[in-house]
Amino acid sequence: MASKVHQVTVWARGVVQDKEGRDIANGLARAAGQEGKFTQSFDNYVDLPDRVNVPLRKYARISDEEIEERYEYENLHPEVVIVADATIVKGIDVLRGMEKGGTLVVATDRRPEDILKFIPNRDLLGKIVCVDAKAICGDRTVDFSGSEGGVDSVGIGQGISAPILGALARGSELVKLDHLDAVVKNKDALHKGHEQAVVKTLN
Amino acid sequence: MFKIPKGKEVPLGCVTPAPVGEQPMMITGNWREFRPLLEPEKCDLCMNCIVFCPDACFQLDDAEEKVVLNEKYCKGCNICINECAPGALTAAYELDFDDGVVRLDKPF
Ligand code: SF4
Ligand code: SF4
Repeated sequence: MASKVHQVTVWARGVVQDKEGRDIANGLARAAGQEGKFTQSFDNYVDLPDRVNVPLRKYARISDEEIEERYEYENLHPEVVIVADATIVKGIDVLRGMEKGGTLVVATDRRPEDILKFIPNRDLLGKIVCVDAKAICGDRTVDFSGSEGGVDSVGIGQGISAPILGALARGSELVKLDHLDAVVKNKDALHKGHEQAVVKTLN
Repeated sequence: MFKIPKGKEVPLGCVTPAPVGEQPMMITGNWREFRPLLEPEKCDLCMNCIVFCPDACFQLDDAEEKVVLNEKYCKGCNICINECAPGALTAAYELDFDDGVVRLDKPF
């Protein structure tokens, strides 16, 4: 039997976080690739990354063996969900398709309890990780490099994607901080995100 | 006017069924990070918010003589805040409110 494909879904906001969302998915996949994992990362085809603030999805997949699904372009059963803008939890059922025991990573200045109250299916979660990514590297849109298949001249992880990836490494075994360090540009923010992340284990 | 032969009518790809009051196929409330918060005592009913909102999210409640926000569709562009001369509208962070939840399965 093929080994498990770990699915990670990133929710971000159109235009202002399009690159950051993509950087989270690409950064995670590249870092996992550093330890010999098989990976995929891609945008959601039907979302609207070019409309300001529209919730959109980016995906990553990690496996010990070659990933056979090449044409399935949505993660139907994410075990980790990353939310790059916390207000998305009021607008989207972010845990849809998750099996029990999953992990939620949220970029927010709020405490885990303040986020959980907006998540009616929170029983699915084994863990929630909150990180104040904007406080670490500022509330700004870094660049649009890499969108629509264009060349990314900026590189992965110059903005809030860096601390969010650091927080992910705190709350999940899927990726290690050392491997992220090798691919993320803003290493200071990556490590600050890792240190400052608030992890709450549930159930 | 040219005539389309009967049975050959092609529905336009970009057209969704016409909404009567609201368009349920395009709920935009989950685009919002900051909502326009109304301080009724500052509002002079100038109607700027009603006119300028690109999504017709402010409506006049005639009986109550006040403007009312549709949270399901307000996308948080904050144009109304810019257009409100008496400063009756301010941007308020969405997580500070328990209401205004739309929680869709997908963005569309
Ligand atoms: S914030 Fe934008 S969408 Fe919402 S009511 Fe004001 S103008 Fe309309
Ligand atoms: S623009 Fe401001 S003052 Fe004018 S009706 Fe709207 S809320 Fe009231």
